[in-house]
Amino acid sequence: MKKWMILVLICSIFFIGFSTIVFASEKKLKAGFVYVGPVGDYGFTHAHDLGRKFAEEKFPWLETIIVESVGEADSARIIDRLIQQQKCDVVFTASFGYMEDTIKAGARYPDKLFMHCSGFKRSANVGTYFGDLYQMYYLNGLMAGALTKTNKIGYVAAFPIPELIRHINAYALGIKAANPKAKLNVKWIYAWYGPDKAKEAAEALIAEGNDALAFTEDTPAVIEVGQRHAEKGKQIYTFSHYSAMQPYGEDSVVSGQLMNWGGIYAKILEDIYNDKFTKDYDILWLAKEKAAILGGNEKDIINPKFVDDLKAAMIESKEFGKISAYDLVVKRYEQMKQGRDVFEPYTGPIYDNKGNLKIKAGEKATMGELLSIMYYVDGVEGSIPQ
Amino acid sequence: MIKIKTTDRYNITTLRSFMTNILCLLAALVVISIIFLIAGVNPIYAISEIFLGSFGSFYGIKETITKAIPLILIGTGLTLAFRAKFWNIGAEGQLLMGAIFATWTGLTFGEALPPYIIVPLIFLAGFIGGGLWGAIPAILKIKYSINEVISTLMLNYICAEILTMLIVGPWKGKTRFGFPGTNNLPDSAILGLIPGSRIHYATLILAILCAIVLSVIIYKTRFGYEARVVGENPDAGKYAGINFLKTSLILMAISGGLAGLAGVGEVAGIHHYLGYPASISSGYGFTAIIVAWLAKLNPLYAIISGIFFAGILVGGDAIQISLGLPAATVEIVNGTLLIFLIMGDYFLNHKITFQFSSK
Repeated sequence: MKKWMILVLICSIFFIGFSTIVFASEKKLKAGFVYVGPVGDYGFTHAHDLGRKFAEEKFPWLETIIVESVGEADSARIIDRLIQQQKCDVVFTASFGYMEDTIKAGARYPDKLFMHCSGFKRSANVGTYFGDLYQMYYLNGLMAGALTKTNKIGYVAAFPIPELIRHINAYALGIKAANPKAKLNVKWIYAWYGPDKAKEAAEALIAEGNDALAFTEDTPAVIEVGQRHAEKGKQIYTFSHYSAMQPYGEDSVVSGQLMNWGGIYAKILEDIYNDKFTKDYDILWLAKEKAAILGGNEKDIINPKFVDDLKAAMIESKEFGKISAYDLVVKRYEQMKQGRDVFEPYTGPIYDNKGNLKIKAGEKATMGELLSIMYYVDGVEGSIPQ
Repeated sequence: MIKIKTTDRYNITTLRSFMTNILCLLAALVVISIIFLIAGVNPIYAISEIFLGSFGSFYGIKETITKAIPLILIGTGLTLAFRAKFWNIGAEGQLLMGAIFATWTGLTFGEALPPYIIVPLIFLAGFIGGGLWGAIPAILKIKYSINEVISTLMLNYICAEILTMLIVGPWKGKTRFGFPGTNNLPDSAILGLIPGSRIHYATLILAILCAIVLSVIIYKTRFGYEARVVGENPDAGKYAGINFLKTSLILMAISGGLAGLAGVGEVAGIHHYLGYPASISSGYGFTAIIVAWLAKLNPLYAIISGIFFAGILVGGDAIQISLGLPAATVEIVNGTLLIFLIMGDYFLNHKITFQFSSK
């Protein structure tokens, strides 16, 4: 036998042995993330990616891989590639539109796990997860109702699906609690990522006399509109969405909703790592689990610029009597952190905006009811696009 | 002093045309390599990953073919329209209209009919839907002289809105819990796949057949001849007594109809229900415009250019997934490739000479 062949043989034995030792010594988990927008969108996808990074730094056994800007028509191909080529053990699909493709992928790869964000379909190896912000919208509504001068409040909305209706309603319930005279006007832009459309919708709402705007869209476009008006001397109040957008509108952003996916991703990945994934795995986190956080940046729950105005605005509350808007927001936020059983915005009597009783006096809506809610509560103008 | 002189080139052979394309491809790869170097990735590794992800592996090939199906169908249809200088930018809308017609047919009759009846029926419905949507701008152009670039483009948005209206309104399925989208098509109306892939073979076969039939129509029939005359020499066409309205209507019905067939494939082959426009088509109607141009407006070549372009799109995944570069890099690489391929046309049709003269 030639010398070099022996050498090669020794080398390969050594190498194979070495690699088995490495792989055997530690259990690894590889997770793929499919995102609908670019990670730099400063909204939904940005927040998810911060969560992913949090989990990756926390767990030495975790390896992650991301694919951004994946169109809904293309998600099946990307999932295939993550499983077949990248050998991912679990794939997270972070947009509602990926639901069908995720369920189908679950059937195609029964020995892999899939986690779909915001959907309602599950199976033996497909779970769902979500963090919802509706409580924060209620708190934003309290502030909007207390601050509005015109009693007309606006909302720039992405798509007419239950999630958005739930947020719009919670915002309207907060407004009503602070200011029963104020009405909420909604404009639909039919885009998750559509800064141009969001700008147009915000300008239109302002032109119609609305002076406090919340929104669901993945860029700070609405806030930039508010800031521009504020700089010109017309105070428009805005509420940051999903990521810390206050830096885009220090004179306009009162507060907002922040989503922290880090804890959710860490919990799911830890469950999977420890073989605690079960059939129909589902996780839904709110303020109690510190997934939903109040504020337009990580530092303040309310922009200091507006604190005095909110302290001066007095509200008649059934529970607390005469109380300033600021104190009411802080109290309600504390209650929400203790759980839905302590305070729930969707507590009856709640009527839809056509006068029908939807939730009986004293009753709380179940999470299931909230996840499929498709009516406007009293105080929202117009009707859901049909 | 150097003078650059361009002269028109005649007698362009197939070999020269082919070699020009190869040269352009190589030149593009050099520029793309520089982009990868700047991004800190070994260009040879990057390009081999892209190739593996599109044509160089079993996984890549089946994804490429899946994506090529709508591109071939729409691309062949566009070659006919573009030959008649009818600038159809509306294939995306025609695709969606085909999808709408096919979904309605499938949901309404699919339950009661066996696959061998319902499948041809939904393809027929899709062809009619896309064809009707394509015929509108033809009438507008010939009867009222409305520029077809504008009308076809705008009809895309109108169709997308109609589709959205249907799925959030009357067609919203009971199985969707308030979310927009129709119910799934009945099993009999769902197209079969090649096992282990997402290639809906019925549409693939149809696409290739359409390309062959269309090339016969363009080069061997009176109608094809008339379509070319309408495009190349409308004055002569008028004197020869060609009915412009009829010719334009037929060619746009075919062009739109083929886009409609692509819509049927996407709905019945891949998604199985009608959802938002962006979840049905990832811009195939627009991408196919480039496919038709790369094919030099020859329907048979559109098969090759459709597969080639699908490969570029699918291979682009590797840039993100294997190389970890942002999604925008995919667009930069694809854009560079296309610019070079289209520039090649200029050098194919023009001869460029440098003249050196002393002052």
